[in-house]
Amino acid sequence: MSDGSRPMIALEAISKTYPGQSAPAVRELDLHVPAGAIVMMVGPSGCGKTTTLKMMNRLIEPTSGRILLDGEDVTAVGGDELRRRIGYVIQQVGLFPHFTVADNVAVVPRVLGWDRKRITARVDELLHLVGLEPGQFRDRYPRQLSGGQQQRVGVARGLAADPAVMLMDEPFGAIDPITRDRLQDEFLEIQRQVAKTICFVTHDLTEAVKLGDRIAVFGPGGVVEQYDTPEQVLTHPANDFVAEFVGSGAAVRRLSLLQLNRLELDEVTVDGVGATNGHPTYRADADGRAVAWAHLPGTGAGDLPPLVTVPLTGTVYDAVDVMLEARAPLVAVVDDEDRPKGALRWEALVRELPTKGRP
Amino acid sequence: MGFTEYVSSNFSSLVFYGQQHFLLVLYSVAAATAIALAAGVLLHTSSVSPPSWSRPVRAGSRETLLLVSSAALTIPSLALFGLLQPALGIGIAPSLVALTIYGVYPVLRNTVAGLSSVDPAVLEAARGMGLGPAWRMVRVQLPLAWPVIVSGIRVATLILIGIAVVAASVSGPGLGQPLFTGLARLGAVNSFNQVLSGTLGCLVVAAIYEIAFFAIQRLTTPRGIRV
Repeated sequence: MSDGSRPMIALEAISKTYPGQSAPAVRELDLHVPAGAIVMMVGPSGCGKTTTLKMMNRLIEPTSGRILLDGEDVTAVGGDELRRRIGYVIQQVGLFPHFTVADNVAVVPRVLGWDRKRITARVDELLHLVGLEPGQFRDRYPRQLSGGQQQRVGVARGLAADPAVMLMDEPFGAIDPITRDRLQDEFLEIQRQVAKTICFVTHDLTEAVKLGDRIAVFGPGGVVEQYDTPEQVLTHPANDFVAEFVGSGAAVRRLSLLQLNRLELDEVTVDGVGATNGHPTYRADADGRAVAWAHLPGTGAGDLPPLVTVPLTGTVYDAVDVMLEARAPLVAVVDDEDRPKGALRWEALVRELPTKGRP
Repeated sequence: MGFTEYVSSNFSSLVFYGQQHFLLVLYSVAAATAIALAAGVLLHTSSVSPPSWSRPVRAGSRETLLLVSSAALTIPSLALFGLLQPALGIGIAPSLVALTIYGVYPVLRNTVAGLSSVDPAVLEAARGMGLGPAWRMVRVQLPLAWPVIVSGIRVATLILIGIAVVAASVSGPGLGQPLFTGLARLGAVNSFNQVLSGTLGCLVVAAIYEIAFFAIQRLTTPRGIRV
């Protein structure tokens, strides 16, 4: 992702006061969303995050301030034309129940006057992208789909006219936790392919940390309390509000928010392959699965701890849990096929956990 | 003369009255539907009036309109036909106008109910994709409200089949003709047969409409929302 000098979306001193209310819902807000980034807007209810999102495509007209889309001032252009250039996905999905899946996805391209062949090709491409086999799903109606499938169609519809910007208002909020987790993983995978600029409203901090390149924490009265990377928000809350929002006992809670695949892990190697260079080495079975530690720097051969593993998709919290359970000072972090990708040491936890960019 | 004998000897004139009745109801329902749909759609769109008006026409006027049209329904039918007589004379014109007035309320009521029952999330998604008010009304709201509107038209039709009989009081067309004649000379030869044939004729017309509405409802309900 780039933190390019020109933001894709820029809100400049934007305010919104609803008629009949004295206090503004959003106050003098500045927010720059870099091109190709996922910006997560989190905060408690009623702090103006959805209002801010809806001002980006002018579903809600700002009372004052400017909105720039890719450098162009769009504060006063036609609202409908603007919205056709921006993808929009909402929690309740809002598919047209009397349109087939294909017709739902094709709405904006049709309004934009694409020719039929291009629309059909685009619909199939998008259904593939969101994991719905076109032959099977193209002609279904929304009521024949599960909640998760409906939201996949919702995402495909948002992407239909290939907008540079996607606005998503708690898209996975109404979906059961297991499906939500899968949709989040797929969402990141899709984003790797399409590289859109995405603004994403959520009230779930875990989701924000998992998906976001940056997090904007909204506070009461419609102000942004902190706008930074997930790591910074977790480890260096800008003020008491953010610290409280991240949670008391934050140090422990952070562990469950930090995924292992975002950590710089200690290198591990298979026993007997070249020099150890001071890395831990392990003995592997025929499939490359680790069975036991062979050598740990600074530990005698007789004192080797049991080899315990934790999946790469787990969190630091899981790793700590496994280590405490097995009384082991380190844990092997393994991939889907149980092959070790690295190790996390107990000592590393009390140092600052070294993180890297999104894998 | 027995009833069957009466019907078979007067069959062609009964069919003629039945046809008149059918068409009278058809035209009135069509006019009532047009008026109710236009009023319902206009009042449902939030921006009926230009933004410069200091007091915009708002959703509140929807209730007013419903009230007025439901009040119209409480006017005794015989009285309404009579009241229209000085302005429109006798015959087809006052019959059509009176029946149209009675038909508006059920259709308007269901139009308003149908349009406001459309899932707000669907409309928000439509707005968020940059689809204008006309597109949303024609492609989303009306199709989704349509089954409810059709059942309003159906109710209006059934009500009007009954009321249309009264058209005979201002020399209007329809099955009211034999029925009223029969009633006026009750006790005379064949008078009861006349009344009975007019009444049963209404039932036949109603049955034809019911069959038609069954087909219309099946055929015009969008597939995705058919239950």
